[in-house]
Amino acid sequence: MPELSKPLPPEDKLVLLPKNPGTFFVFWQFSAGRSEAFLTASFAPEVELRIAYSDDKSHAAAHKAAWQSGRAYLPVPERGGNCEVALYALRNGVWEKLLESNQAAAPVRAGAEADRAYASMEFHKRVQGGTV
Amino acid sequence: MASRGSLMFLLHAHLPYVNHPQDSSFLEESWFFEAVVETYVPLISVLERLAGEGIRPGVAVSISPTLGAMLENEALEAKLGLYVESRLELLGRELERAKDDPALLRTVQLYHELYSEAAGLLHKYSGDLITPLKALQHAGQIEILTTSATHAVLPLLARPEAVRAQLAVAAEDYTDRFNCKPAGFWLPECAYEPRLNSYLKLSGFGYTFAESHAVESAAAQAPNGVYSPYRTSNGLGLFARDAASSREVWSSRFGYPGDPAYREFYRDLGYDGDYEYVRPYLGSDGIRRPLGLKYHRITDSGADLSAKQYYDPDAALARVEAHAADFLERRLKQTDDFYAARGARPLIVSCYDAELFGHWWFEGPAFLEAVIRKIRVDRLPLQFVTPTEYLNSCQEPPELSPGMSSWGENGYFDPWVNETNDFIYPAVYAATDKMIETANRFRNQDLGNLAQRALNQAARETLLAQSSDWAFLLYIGSHAAYAKGRLEDHAANAVRLLGEVIEKRLDEGALAALERQNNLFPRLDFRVFASVSKF
Repeated sequence: MPELSKPLPPEDKLVLLPKNPGTFFVFWQFSAGRSEAFLTASFAPEVELRIAYSDDKSHAAAHKAAWQSGRAYLPVPERGGNCEVALYALRNGVWEKLLESNQAAAPVRAGAEADRAYASMEFHKRVQGGTV
Repeated sequence: MASRGSLMFLLHAHLPYVNHPQDSSFLEESWFFEAVVETYVPLISVLERLAGEGIRPGVAVSISPTLGAMLENEALEAKLGLYVESRLELLGRELERAKDDPALLRTVQLYHELYSEAAGLLHKYSGDLITPLKALQHAGQIEILTTSATHAVLPLLARPEAVRAQLAVAAEDYTDRFNCKPAGFWLPECAYEPRLNSYLKLSGFGYTFAESHAVESAAAQAPNGVYSPYRTSNGLGLFARDAASSREVWSSRFGYPGDPAYREFYRDLGYDGDYEYVRPYLGSDGIRRPLGLKYHRITDSGADLSAKQYYDPDAALARVEAHAADFLERRLKQTDDFYAARGARPLIVSCYDAELFGHWWFEGPAFLEAVIRKIRVDRLPLQFVTPTEYLNSCQEPPELSPGMSSWGENGYFDPWVNETNDFIYPAVYAATDKMIETANRFRNQDLGNLAQRALNQAARETLLAQSSDWAFLLYIGSHAAYAKGRLEDHAANAVRLLGEVIEKRLDEGALAALERQNNLFPRLDFRVFASVSKF
């Protein structure tokens, strides 16, 4: 999987973006202090991404991820609408909220895919085995 | 004959900003040269020819600020002149080589005409192709729109400040370039989401476009489907793209561009020619690559490139005429069907990337000309309209709340957010967040010239990092290393400059080098990124 080759400023960040009607994309970063806490095992290596509905803040779903993976694709909760994510880490058996994301809405699925006319990929033949 | 409906063509012209003044020849700059010769010059020629004959084209053209900046960049204009000159030199040799091969000679002559036309138009306008476009708009022949400053996919910019900056910079850039305010805004990748309505309206735009399924997913049912404009709750005009007319042109498999008589894109003299013969035209690394001279026709879309037959310009032109007639026949059927069902005259909105016409679909400009000409000559009951004239003449459009969508593969944001390119977003957001934070910190301060320049350049770098092109190139696997490098460089440049301003340790030489290379938006003020912008 391709990665950035230049280091980013170590900052706490959790961003939620729409991808398609069924999927959100989320990425996160930690400040140097937080990363150190993971590296020294103060925090357990797995974080939990908890999705909530923004309108009433009710819990929708939770997903586990490795803390250093930095990104994940999350299924859009059943009710859809505006959602937000909070990242939790486990310390001494207690889940701590470390980061909160922006609000994002997933698109509503509409129309039959066969009826759509994409600005076509057909003219851009994918380069097989293209490397970054 | 009275019109039974209206047809709106929107051609979206965009290229990423590629400018490497330190290199006499840079591979990715050829995207610009090819697009000028194969698309922009032929389209301008078609529009001027029609206008000159009293046939008003009435099409809308969106020109991205990055493309506009390249069209006005004198260093690129000089390189473009050399590129055209070099191709004409090669074509002179090709005419000699093909003189005893009539089947090839006709196509070589066609390319010689194409490059001569480019040389002629560039000479006529002193290298500046904005001038004829501006004149066509001024004469009411076309309507020119803009798009976001660096073609960012706006629903993927979570920070409102970033969206506002993309819109404000685009509006200012348009006003500087075309001497009037832009009425309309093309959403990059036709990527719409409801929160954009207020930003577009506040930035002074009167209308935009959305995909057909944006209308289908609207909260309230769209009474006329895609066949009429709508307005959002805050009064923004909204046109819906018609899928049928788009598909006929867009699809290389099922649409017109896949016709066996049309030119084959992927077979090129750069690969076919004797190596020593083509070597002087390949670039400094000597690697075989396309030269833009393609002498074969599609023949059979499933056939190996080696099995392609020679292109026959006359046969291709005959297919253009047939396809133009077919396209219009289908539009008339659409209008008749709609009128029979609803008792109203429909508007059919057809949106395409401009580069499809000529670059990808070689015969595209001839098709466009044939369609426009045929409506007039055959007195067909269809009229071409531009967005503003349609909005000015139609009844108050019904209100609609369209859904989030794009014209990309699968209809949403998959091409720009997937496992080939999702790693870029932390870099994009690192630059964006730092830019907003620093703009807020300095927005009310009187800054020295150097700090002001550095902050303005950081704003340029941030905008460039947000371009949709890097993610798309990574996705299709084309020029992926270049795209990754550009994205990372812009983000790193922005973060570094902002840090240097805060720490008061600016390197003027390095700043000046960046200003020379990434030199678009000359009037950009970094405060455009502030949370409460002065704009």
